[in-house]
Amino acid sequence: MAEPVVIARPEILSPIGQSTLRQLLRTWFDFERRLSRVPIIQRLETGTFTLLDYQHLLLNLRQQVIEGSRWISRCASSFDREHADIRSVIIGHAHDEHRDYEVLEQDYVAAGGDLITIRQRPRNPGSEALHGYLMYRASEPNPVGLLGAMWIVEGLGEKMAQDWAARIEPLAGIGREATRFLRYHGSNDDSHMNKLYGLIDRICTTETVADDILRTATVVGRLYALQLEEIDVA
Amino acid sequence: MVNAYITSTGSFLPGPPINNDEIEEVLGLVDGRRSRLKSRILKANGIQTRHFAIDREHRTTHSNADIAVLAARACMAGSPLPMRSVGMLSCATTQGDLIVPGFGSMVQAGLGIPEVELHTAHGICSSSAMAVRAAVNTLRVGDQSSALVVVSELASRLFKHTRYEAAGGHDAIDFNSEFLRWMLSDGAGAWLLERQPRGRCLRVDWIRSYSHADSLPVCMSIGRATDPADSRSWQDYPTYADAEAAGALLIRQDVRLLENIVKLGVDGALRLIDEGLLDTDRLDHLLCHYSSHHFRSKIFAMLEMCGARVADEKWYTNLYTKGNTGCASIMIMLDDFLREDRAKPGETLLCMVPESGRFNVAYLHFTVVEA
Repeated sequence: MAEPVVIARPEILSPIGQSTLRQLLRTWFDFERRLSRVPIIQRLETGTFTLLDYQHLLLNLRQQVIEGSRWISRCASSFDREHADIRSVIIGHAHDEHRDYEVLEQDYVAAGGDLITIRQRPRNPGSEALHGYLMYRASEPNPVGLLGAMWIVEGLGEKMAQDWAARIEPLAGIGREATRFLRYHGSNDDSHMNKLYGLIDRICTTETVADDILRTATVVGRLYALQLEEIDVA
Repeated sequence: MVNAYITSTGSFLPGPPINNDEIEEVLGLVDGRRSRLKSRILKANGIQTRHFAIDREHRTTHSNADIAVLAARACMAGSPLPMRSVGMLSCATTQGDLIVPGFGSMVQAGLGIPEVELHTAHGICSSSAMAVRAAVNTLRVGDQSSALVVVSELASRLFKHTRYEAAGGHDAIDFNSEFLRWMLSDGAGAWLLERQPRGRCLRVDWIRSYSHADSLPVCMSIGRATDPADSRSWQDYPTYADAEAAGALLIRQDVRLLENIVKLGVDGALRLIDEGLLDTDRLDHLLCHYSSHHFRSKIFAMLEMCGARVADEKWYTNLYTKGNTGCASIMIMLDDFLREDRAKPGETLLCMVPESGRFNVAYLHFTVVEA
């Protein structure tokens, strides 16, 4: 089997790469503040989050996690031969994550939930919007803007692992065996960041691409927050 | 537009420097027992010495207004402008000696400036920037030609062992209510601002601040009980003694939320870069009362990658010897910095004032000029 394709981290980014990274950081901070205003996350931060909240969180995340591997796979297939290196990196990524939802389901059961309930749960309106947007973008030729989606989704994986999991366990009265999905993405920071720097350097060469990446990051952040807001509406 | 210039600075720190072994001798042992957290918190903040306006018998050696007045006099001693001619007095503190009237009134009385235009800013660390902002605006619109900004902090009175004993004692004190006991101390700083430059002075280029209370919870506070389920303010109890017993008069830091201040500090700086106001490569000096090691995180590596990192040698702080004096920190720091004669004409300074209270970050940008 061939060695996996690696898009190497550059020593320094180009001026446009640097400017894009600065704005991605700001988009991320803005997204984090938006999350802090979502009721279920407010409860988490102020310490009133319950086991029921955790069950609702997993119930509402599962669909998006399943669909997550679908848009990433679709995204990979939309890159043409000029972007074969990017395609390879994304295929690897899709492979890494395509069974994550099984871990999430096991966590739900470990947290006192019922497997049939979570499997039958339909997408909430926020998940519908997020999934629809990502599949639409992933179906476009060479969807480089989805780097902005990766930025948000991967950042969120890290936030779940580093902030949420340890906060949720005592509040919900559960152990690590019930937060394996949340904790899963916190392990390989450096390689994720190097991959990201490599992709920015490779993809982000014009203002048009930079704007597309930032716009996508903003939309995905908004729709992700909507998905979490819907937990309290449902 | 009319400019504003910082033409003199001064500071005052009460009493002798108190080292880490002496702090608990001054503040006292809670229930006669040594703190289990002290050395860990001191190791994290890196502070070696600080000053207190209370002595070992817990007598107040200087009131908050006294400290402010002494800093203001030190500032005016470096200027030919007579104290009586100061047009505006703009003050800030976290908590004055009296709950009312405003702190500025007490400082004015102590300084004896007649018929001054008075302003008092309310808040925690960033109230200093608010007081400076009010002074700069008043000069810029041309209503006054000079403004004295005086910012003072007297935190030690909150840290007497008796305060903690009244709130349940050694076993009732959690990390969040003890954290600031080993962090904050006393002092005051003053800056004189004028519409005309005078000698070597600092031109105020711009001031910006970004507050995030809309999206983040309270992180540092006085006035709420230890029990998070108790939402009452200290004023809602039948007596103040009841409020104290509930821990509602302890100063508390939600340490878990502190990481946000680093992110928000970076966020504001990136925004200033995007607006073209800040150029981290051209900036010569960065003054911040959080030590740079608080900002050693993954974000820092990313700042390097996006070309927005301020090189280590440009960071200046006096945190380790003067302590964290809350809102007074940036005032005292600029005074020390200028006395060390580190800045040459044409060089630029950024003062960054992060406040964790409910997350406000202020930035003040100056250029050294020679009149």
